[in-house]
Amino acid sequence: MEVTFDHVSKKYGDVLAVEDLNLKIAEGSLHFLLGPSGCGKTTTLRLLAGLESTTSGRILFGGKDVTALPAAERGIGMVFQNYALWPHMTVAKNIDYGLGLKRLSGVQREQRLKEALELTQLTRLADRLPGQLSGGQQQRVALARALAIRPTVLLLDEPLSNLDAQLRLEMRDNISRIHRQTKITTVYVTHDQKEALSMGTEVSVLRAGRLIQSASPRQLYHHPATPFIAKFIGETNLVNATYRGDDDGHHLFECGFGHILTTRRKQVLSPGQAVTLSFRPETISVQVDGAARPSVNPLRVVLEHLTYLGESEQLALRTSDQQILRANIFNPPEHDLQEGTAVVCNVHPEHILVLPVEHDLSSGT
Amino acid sequence: MSQSTATAAPLKAKRSSPRQMGTAIGYAVLAATLVALVFFLVLPVSTILYKAFRAQGHFSLDYFRLLFANDLQTTAIYNSLLIGVAATLLCTVLSLPLAVINARYDFPGKKLLTGLLLTPMVMPPFVGAIGFQRFFARRGSVNLLLLKLGLIDSPIEWLEGGRVFWAVVVLEVLHLYPIVYLNLTAALANIDPSLEEMATTLGVPRWRQFKDIVWPLARSGYFAGAIIVFIWALTDLGTPLLVGFQETMPVRIFNMITDVNENPVGYALVCLVILITFAVYLLAKTSTRGKSYDMMSRGHVSSAVKKISAVSAAPFYLLLVVTIAAALLPHISVLITSLSSKWFMTVLPEQYTLDYYKQILHTDLPLIGIKNSLLFSGSSMLIDLLLGALIAYVVVRKLIPFAGLLDALTMVPLALPGIVLAFGYVTTYTNTILDPFTNPTALLIIAYAVRRLPYMVRSAAAGLAQTSIALEEAAATFGASRFYTLRTITVPLVSANLIAGCLLCFAYAMLDVSDSLILAMKDRYYPLTKAIYVLFLEQGSGEFVASALGVVGMALLTVCILGASLLLGKKMGELFRSG
Repeated sequence: MEVTFDHVSKKYGDVLAVEDLNLKIAEGSLHFLLGPSGCGKTTTLRLLAGLESTTSGRILFGGKDVTALPAAERGIGMVFQNYALWPHMTVAKNIDYGLGLKRLSGVQREQRLKEALELTQLTRLADRLPGQLSGGQQQRVALARALAIRPTVLLLDEPLSNLDAQLRLEMRDNISRIHRQTKITTVYVTHDQKEALSMGTEVSVLRAGRLIQSASPRQLYHHPATPFIAKFIGETNLVNATYRGDDDGHHLFECGFGHILTTRRKQVLSPGQAVTLSFRPETISVQVDGAARPSVNPLRVVLEHLTYLGESEQLALRTSDQQILRANIFNPPEHDLQEGTAVVCNVHPEHILVLPVEHDLSSGT
Repeated sequence: MSQSTATAAPLKAKRSSPRQMGTAIGYAVLAATLVALVFFLVLPVSTILYKAFRAQGHFSLDYFRLLFANDLQTTAIYNSLLIGVAATLLCTVLSLPLAVINARYDFPGKKLLTGLLLTPMVMPPFVGAIGFQRFFARRGSVNLLLLKLGLIDSPIEWLEGGRVFWAVVVLEVLHLYPIVYLNLTAALANIDPSLEEMATTLGVPRWRQFKDIVWPLARSGYFAGAIIVFIWALTDLGTPLLVGFQETMPVRIFNMITDVNENPVGYALVCLVILITFAVYLLAKTSTRGKSYDMMSRGHVSSAVKKISAVSAAPFYLLLVVTIAAALLPHISVLITSLSSKWFMTVLPEQYTLDYYKQILHTDLPLIGIKNSLLFSGSSMLIDLLLGALIAYVVVRKLIPFAGLLDALTMVPLALPGIVLAFGYVTTYTNTILDPFTNPTALLIIAYAVRRLPYMVRSAAAGLAQTSIALEEAAATFGASRFYTLRTITVPLVSANLIAGCLLCFAYAMLDVSDSLILAMKDRYYPLTKAIYVLFLEQGSGEFVASALGVVGMALLTVCILGASLLLGKKMGELFRSG
């Protein structure tokens, strides 16, 4: 079922929780709503579920306006962040309770229950009470309960946030598998960018009630729309700079510690324009000063701090204007770099993104 | 842990370690509690049981046969059970919407109104009954008002025949509903709202959500309050006595006290009360066994409380204000009675006076009552403070292996009806050094202390639980002894809770009804409540002086309770929950 938000806003009193949201969620996709806490992602999900009503705008399920429909008539299945398992009902009863309200024959009902238990590998635990289950098992019960009613849209509200790291990895695979098997259009809310990148077919990043970018995980990582997304999805170095014109097929920027060249793209820039440059730590390469080979963007920095991790090395580099740049060197060569040494580092113009200046990066995180 | 203590012990064999000291204190407190409870709880109750089942030197059910053969007694038993059931049901019906409003909505003025809802609990129903009677008498305010409005042609006999039953029930409900309300509110607030939201997404109708999800989860909390109300209404002596409803178990028991040695049926009746109480607790325990569920909510829980405007809350305001007004009506009527000078055939008095308050100071009985009550309540408060604080300390700091057991033991008096305890004291200690017929002072103080001990323990435990043990350990690292630490660190930190506990113990002892009415037999030893009762029975201005004295008592209680709730804050409600 394709899901469409059409100019949807939600206000709580004077607070705008969701602001003019326009978004199409493709049929059969595993769509992520990603953002820091308080960004409006859970509210968006609850609007979809029908647990909150929109202040303005429309929500469409496969072209049908469901804005005024109560939750039960939308055909959604929901998994709450805290699972919301009824503690006084067994696993089977938890799953069966919702089925009891559908017009189903006894045989169908049993069949559905059996399927849901099998799909989530809970058959063995059917007679347990939720209190007797581990966190991961409880999570699966919540999933089974939502799936048993064969929803057209599955809504997951931070389903893994209460699990420990190891279990979270397992459950990611589990949910991906179930999504592949059922092909139910799924909307998944999380603040964990790794979850979104590893599982999502498409990711929408929200901030302070607004949708900032909606794209595939790769697109989002390599072509973030704003410095906020660049910093939120993975790690990055952000440098404020001014556009100075073109130079030999490159854009030329001036920043606090010198000049930086980037590859020319289809961007309209006017000389004197302020921008934010973004380059990932893994795009920086470092050479000991003196042995420097000529390069396009040689940056003279001082090695402030070095963390050796075996397969990689994390460097903190101080620029001449006291900014700190982060670099990740994978498969690091043997060397005896001392902290405090002057080094030259390189960033290929191809790897530097030119982003609009964004004020107040701290808010909403 | 125990190994390291064992190896460390020889190094400082001469001085006992703080741990050993703590264990010693623990066992000493346990022993003191056990002795107190054996002599003043177990012994009186077993004496009643023993005498109830023993005739002509051997086991017999004769007294029960006599009891059930007597129509007067069976009617009383039946009436009392019915009062208990009716009061519990009505309290539930009244409390449920109030609890839902409190647990699920927020609106301007909510704090004040829901706070006021609790006031009837702290007002003695016994005093309220005096004013209530005046309002509902044949020529009382209610009839006169109805006549004046032309709603009735002749006065209704509110307090005659079957109606007196309902008068008692209404007074009990107006006094006791806060207990159900508090327990239900806590139970509802504890239910994660997503449990209902999930059901909403599945299309479960509201009423089924309540039946299938909310009720099963709130049930044990509800029962905790309901059984207290049932037992309380069943065994309350003051209200039926003042309203003049003789055919109830407590009043029968009260009337049998003086000649209990000639008429042993009284033992059987009290024994029946004990059995009923025990059965009800047992029933509540088994029906909720294994039905208490941890709310498994972790991490983020969306708040269940919905903010609504004053306008949309209008029905709530109406319900709250009407309830509060109804609950305070008996007490307002006492106040009016105490101030009335000319009041005959009019809805409200024609003239007001302070004469009856002056009379309190110039008549013997009221002054004796006040003086005695101050002495008895003050002494019982000191006993509770010492024992209660120590018990709480031992329990919270787990100084002995069975600390939980000690905690459970001290809560027993909360479950035992006052009338049973008082009756037991009379039977057990007549013709001993504590004989209440000669001088009831000691027994009254002990009875007050035993029955209010749970309040003290809970208050002190609440404070101690919030005070990190690390603060005490820090003092110990500087070489402070356990007593020194207790005196300089622990007690100052929980002083607010201790004072609150003292205020509660004192206030409830001042307005104790069953022990006071039963144990004080000579007017020289009358405490406040017995003085009010005796004055009330007097002809002439007695009723008005009794009202004035009642108002003084209420004022005293209000000040104490307000003080205690200021000191205890939100913890106050926990004192009125069982289990």
